[in-house]
Amino acid sequence: MRTMKNKIFNLLLLTTVILVGMSCQKDLDQQPIDPDSFTQNDVFKDANTAKSALAKVYASLALTGQQGPAGQPDISDIDEGFSQFSRMLFNLNELTTDNAVVAWGDAGLQDLHGMYWTAGNDFTDAMYYRLAQTVSFANAFIENAEALNSDQEVKYYIAEARFVRAYAYYNLMDLYGDVPLVSTVTTELPTQASRQEIFNFVESELLDIQNLLKDSGANEYGRVDKVAAWALLSRLYLNAEVWTGTNRYNDCVNFSEQAMNATYSINTNDVNGNGTAYDELFLADNNINGAQSEFIFALNFDGLHSQTYGGTTFLIHAAVGGSMAPSDFGINGGWFGLRTTKSLVNLFAVDLNAMNNSLGTLSDWGLVGDATPNGWGSTDDIELHETSTNHYAVYVDLLQGELKFRYNEDWGNNYGDDNADGTLEASGANISIAAAGTYYITMDLDNNTYTITPYSSDKRGMFYSNGQNLEIEDMTQFTDGYAVAKFKNVDSNGNAGSDTSGDFADTDLPIIRLAEIYLNYAEAVVRGGNGSMATAVNKINELRMRAYGSASGDITASDLTLDFMLKERARELYWEGQRRTDLIRFDSFTTANYVWPFKGNDPAGIAVDSYRNLFPLPTNVLSINPNLTQNTGY
Amino acid sequence: MNKLKFIIVSILFAIPILMTAQRSVNGTVTDKKTGEPLPGVNVLVKGTQNGTGTDFDGKYILSNVPETAVIVFSYLGYAPQEISANKNQINVALSEDAESLNEVVVVGYGTSKKKDLTGAVNKVTPKKFNLGGITSAENLIMGKVAGVTVVAPSGAPGEGGSVNIRGLSSLSLTNTPLYVVDGIPLAGGVSGSRNVLNFINPSDIASIVILKDASATAIYGSRAANGVVMITTKKGKNKEFKFNFETKGSYYRPYQYVDVMTSNEFRNLVESTGDAAAIGRLGDTNTNWQKQIYQVAMGVDYSFNAVGSFLNIPLRLSVGHTDQEGILKKDEFNRTTASINLSPSYFDNHLKVELNARGMYTENTFGNRGAIGSAISYDPTQPVYDANSPFAGYFSWIDPASNPPVQYSLAPTNPVALVNLTNDFSFINRFAGNAKFDYKLHFFPDITATVNVGLDNSTGNGHSVTSRDIPTSNPSWLGTDNTYTNEVNNKILNTYLTYSKKVNKHDVKLMAGYSYQSFDYDNRYYDDYQFQQGATDYNKVDLSKEVLLSYFTRLNYKFNDKYLLTASLRADYSSLLNPDDRQGLFPSVALAWNIDKEDFMKNSIFDVLKLRVGYGAVGNVNGLAPYKYLTRYQTSTSTAGYQFGSNFYQTYRPEPINKNLRWEVGKTTNLGVDFSILNRKLYGSLNLYNKQTKDLIIWSLVDPFTNFGNRVESNVGDMENKGIELELNGLLIKKNDLSWNISYNIAYNDNKITNMPFNQEVGGIEGGVGNNVQSHTEGYEPYSFYVYQQVYDVNDKPIEGVYVDRNDDGVINNKDKYYYKSPLAPIQMGLSTRVVYKNFDFSITSRSNIGNYMYNNVASAKSIPADITTQPFLTNVHSDYFNSGFETHSETNLLSDYYVTDASFVKIDNVSIGYRIDKIYKNANLRLYGMLQNVATFTEYTGLDPEMAGGIDNNFYPRPRTFTLGFNLDF
Repeated sequence: MRTMKNKIFNLLLLTTVILVGMSCQKDLDQQPIDPDSFTQNDVFKDANTAKSALAKVYASLALTGQQGPAGQPDISDIDEGFSQFSRMLFNLNELTTDNAVVAWGDAGLQDLHGMYWTAGNDFTDAMYYRLAQTVSFANAFIENAEALNSDQEVKYYIAEARFVRAYAYYNLMDLYGDVPLVSTVTTELPTQASRQEIFNFVESELLDIQNLLKDSGANEYGRVDKVAAWALLSRLYLNAEVWTGTNRYNDCVNFSEQAMNATYSINTNDVNGNGTAYDELFLADNNINGAQSEFIFALNFDGLHSQTYGGTTFLIHAAVGGSMAPSDFGINGGWFGLRTTKSLVNLFAVDLNAMNNSLGTLSDWGLVGDATPNGWGSTDDIELHETSTNHYAVYVDLLQGELKFRYNEDWGNNYGDDNADGTLEASGANISIAAAGTYYITMDLDNNTYTITPYSSDKRGMFYSNGQNLEIEDMTQFTDGYAVAKFKNVDSNGNAGSDTSGDFADTDLPIIRLAEIYLNYAEAVVRGGNGSMATAVNKINELRMRAYGSASGDITASDLTLDFMLKERARELYWEGQRRTDLIRFDSFTTANYVWPFKGNDPAGIAVDSYRNLFPLPTNVLSINPNLTQNTGY
Repeated sequence: MNKLKFIIVSILFAIPILMTAQRSVNGTVTDKKTGEPLPGVNVLVKGTQNGTGTDFDGKYILSNVPETAVIVFSYLGYAPQEISANKNQINVALSEDAESLNEVVVVGYGTSKKKDLTGAVNKVTPKKFNLGGITSAENLIMGKVAGVTVVAPSGAPGEGGSVNIRGLSSLSLTNTPLYVVDGIPLAGGVSGSRNVLNFINPSDIASIVILKDASATAIYGSRAANGVVMITTKKGKNKEFKFNFETKGSYYRPYQYVDVMTSNEFRNLVESTGDAAAIGRLGDTNTNWQKQIYQVAMGVDYSFNAVGSFLNIPLRLSVGHTDQEGILKKDEFNRTTASINLSPSYFDNHLKVELNARGMYTENTFGNRGAIGSAISYDPTQPVYDANSPFAGYFSWIDPASNPPVQYSLAPTNPVALVNLTNDFSFINRFAGNAKFDYKLHFFPDITATVNVGLDNSTGNGHSVTSRDIPTSNPSWLGTDNTYTNEVNNKILNTYLTYSKKVNKHDVKLMAGYSYQSFDYDNRYYDDYQFQQGATDYNKVDLSKEVLLSYFTRLNYKFNDKYLLTASLRADYSSLLNPDDRQGLFPSVALAWNIDKEDFMKNSIFDVLKLRVGYGAVGNVNGLAPYKYLTRYQTSTSTAGYQFGSNFYQTYRPEPINKNLRWEVGKTTNLGVDFSILNRKLYGSLNLYNKQTKDLIIWSLVDPFTNFGNRVESNVGDMENKGIELELNGLLIKKNDLSWNISYNIAYNDNKITNMPFNQEVGGIEGGVGNNVQSHTEGYEPYSFYVYQQVYDVNDKPIEGVYVDRNDDGVINNKDKYYYKSPLAPIQMGLSTRVVYKNFDFSITSRSNIGNYMYNNVASAKSIPADITTQPFLTNVHSDYFNSGFETHSETNLLSDYYVTDASFVKIDNVSIGYRIDKIYKNANLRLYGMLQNVATFTEYTGLDPEMAGGIDNNFYPRPRTFTLGFNLDF
């Protein structure tokens, strides 16, 4: 009996062991159970779900990962905030030029303005990763979405993904020259294509999708239409000579014209009434304040829903420091980083001395007050020029504050304005200057009247100079170099953006806007393209009209030289990610043709080796892909 | 495999059981020391299967014993005795035998006598454990075993140590050994828990066995790549109840502070280098911010256990409670543990059952560690409190332009406010239990079937609150309130058959089995701040599951007690790998020769002389995230949507994928000698090893055109560890009332990356963003510092910005960086000694690391005075400025080898003294003791502490000096 019991016990035991052993084999095939993880079938179920995958293709240029602002990065080996596309575009295309300097000591960052970067630089590496990844995301999207292409909307998605891929390749070609050309999902190590091949690919893709994208203005905000393909072709052909050795200015003119004749228009909506509609392009509500009519391709940011430490959040925070009030920029604090060199500032300079000298001789009447640089305690007043007897005038840079007129630096004979009515009273009240700026001031002692009118100048030069030195001695000091106040996280009414903590900006970042196409057109014409010089001058004047708020900055055909074009592009497009490309096209990036402070790590600026017109391929990628050859010089 | 088992067992059924009638022998087995009867002793006629066990009173009756037979009495932890069966009554007194080579050592899926071991295995018993206020098991063996490094990550209470056996063998995967508690491999801990092992009350531990080489660990296959730490807990005994109560009180004193400028030094610096605005910011108080956030802390610990038997079932019960404050204010660790062990036997000891259940409840209060860095850099001329501050009266750097008032966005936050205005708690429940059945088949007692079923469940709940009053730069700050829940559920089944047979001089043991283990992870997070911001995904859920399935077999063969062979093979299947590559086969073989048993050794001084040689392979995927071989898309959070039209779309990202991921394999060859001379006056062992890790799984670069990221886990690169370990134990004096012994161990390990197609920069540091100071590079040690070579002037002062142009190209750029030292110590030593005089005992434990280097990131990031003039607030400067004189924040200053310095050290970890009072009342014995921990450190390193895992000194939670008083009562 007992043996029987034991046998049964043993059999049960063994059976259990065997059954358990067999039943658990299938447990090895685990599928993701996380609610945030999906399979290909989930994602490409229909046009709706596929749209979220398309959103990633776009977002790979705007955001840095799946958790805003940081936490699930797309790219490794670099701080997630650093890895954002437009932030790196700024580092590689603006920081390397006369347009920008930075104070921070992050690995490899100072190398960029000093032009001594080496292979393995964090930013040149990460930009390559970012763009290649955008290509991979687009390739996967295009392949998988094919299954849904009976849906017309999905056809548009695919064309848009092809546009984003072409834009990524456009940048790869511009920054690195010869790169792999991969247009399908593959694990095979790619070989290097020539710059010409990449050029041809971008060109043929854009020519192809110009008919597949939605019509001009027919797509929703944030997604591209046909005009984007034309606009990128315009940029491609303008630079064709640099990349392929063959100039394509006629093609540039053609596609620029197509873009100019579409539904897009230059924003002239001066919502905040500061005398120009230019600054509206870079405000928190630039998706609705009128600026959007000019944006052919923009990266969309939002303080609550699209957060990143790159993008406009970077452009705004990093540019604020010194005595700048962060609240003026709609943010909670500056990062004390970016400024610019005097080379850019000087492009906007007006020669007040010459203008004043032409007014007449210096008089003993002067301006005193905290609106003048010397303050109330001064014994060195800003002297007025005598235009005729008892009539005085001066062009002067004033600060926000107050001032009075006085004679011979002495309070014995002074004038103010008691009722702010334009009539002067002896020892009258201080005269208020509401905003800093350049002013034209007149004083008429026959009638005891005066005028203070803002002097109409190029308002695109949005610099902050209070407490900043124009000259840069120490790159790491924020106060060396003028700050740039171009991008802001306040809307056209001055209200801060949607993120009440002041961390993340709402401001969208135009990548291609119509003004650039005007400049492309004009330059292609100047370079011999078969467009119209008159149209070119008109288009440039349209931009300058907006910049000056009047026709005072208009040019004529004789002004329209190549030298002018390079300067005008800086004035219109500085800090928008195109400066290096422009300088290379004008043979001025590495050469002694044009130098700026700390070019070549020299305070005065020196030429550097021409191989620096290209950035190095990542050494790490070279080490795992033997098919690739490093760019010369690195 | 299962079919085979079935066939074997079917055949076994057919084998008849033969018996011959002979006379019987009886007697009583007692403990030699106490004279108490020993129940459960194995009594066996030598060379036969004829055996029995002693009963509750230590009595036995063994029938059918031939007169010429020899009877073997054996009991775990006691020296076995062999006595000739020429009498009818044989009474035996066994003596405890913890140290001898006859002791039983737990190895994977079974036990072995120490003398029969063939691999590099160390056993540490409570006698040798470190003393003091230890809350986690691994700290018991710190410094005790050659080649085993235990580094406490910080001075926080309840935190254990990171354990590393024989150098680093993996770069991206975990380097933590496998912990096996009572035969059940553990899962990792949950968030909010300070340490994976601290659910075991150290006083419940009977032994810790460390399997170091792959010939020993291979039976655990893929989880054993970094060695195995086997913890056996104390069991019930079949005798009268004995009780033990222990309590101790500890006093923790902070004694190390980062050397930053005093308020006078800082004031002088600002006045001499700052502009008027900066000077105007100076305050007029003297605040030592570090002293403001640290405190003298107290801790108490109680444990109680009862061992005996209840209804003839051996039983052990224990409860423990620990309440320990941290030296960082508010930090507290509060733990209650309870455990029960039942070990009944049935059917004449044929069925042995062991039931273990262990529960833990921990309440952690986390002091705000952000205050550590902030206290280092906060301006010492400012007061803690400022009546005008809008932030609950804490002094803050208010931006005067702001309305409502906020702090400058980059300003440090008042450390005292950080501590006082945040609350961070976690509550951890952990239950681990197992039921083990060893059944010696009635019809074929050579075979034992074992089933061990275990469950290990941890649940962590955390809650952290930041006050709305805390100084912030966020004008719309409302405070935060986050909660999380994490659960790890680990289920395991081990089942195996063991066949033992001894025929003449041949002794064979064959074991084969199967194991199934699953891990369910369930993490949930509720973010109230996101909720306030109107985000939709304030509630986050992360789920994953892992399964590991294994078949294993092992052969032990012994010939004539002299020649030993162990061979094992394990097949592991992991759900982490793709179906084609998920099987890993891990073999091992080892040979040993008990030279002392040879005739020619008869009159030598050696009690033991054994030569061992072994080889084994183990796999590793531990720490690899699941599903890496599958195409997956990850959705974005609501803060990472993308705008089309006026809507924000969540995005789907294809995840980096590696369809070809396979096992990382470590292969170790070990050559060892064990010896004991002059009746164990001196004994120890020597091991030489070579461990090659192939196909390292690292977070490797991929061509970004071929994947959805620039890195994915891939099998790239190889690494090696070569080393030599020596352990010596000496009994210098052994007299009636005086004994003195010394244990010493020294290990040399050479850890090198032997194959790596690219440099992998690691070791992120503070000061700028994206700077790394270390690199994994072929030909160098892992984590080698990768730095610029500083140039010094004639007075040995570094010249700022001047470095050696190592590639002679006329410019200093990152091509001039070089590999300079590493944080890994090539030589590590441990020395402990214990003196017992009459009822007094006295012991000292010390350790030394030689050749380890440290990067002082506190100095490199905080000794630059440039911020005084560039920021609208002041931050204190590290005193190293007086030495370096560096003025600017630059990448090259930060990465100068000036900051990499020798951190070799000698540490006296522990000094203790105890006094024992026997028979204080009836059978009660009392021991009183006092201990000092963290007694002294001798080093040339000038930072806070020369021993920090990773080798980067920054914001380190200092280790306190601890004084403990306690008593232990046996009754």
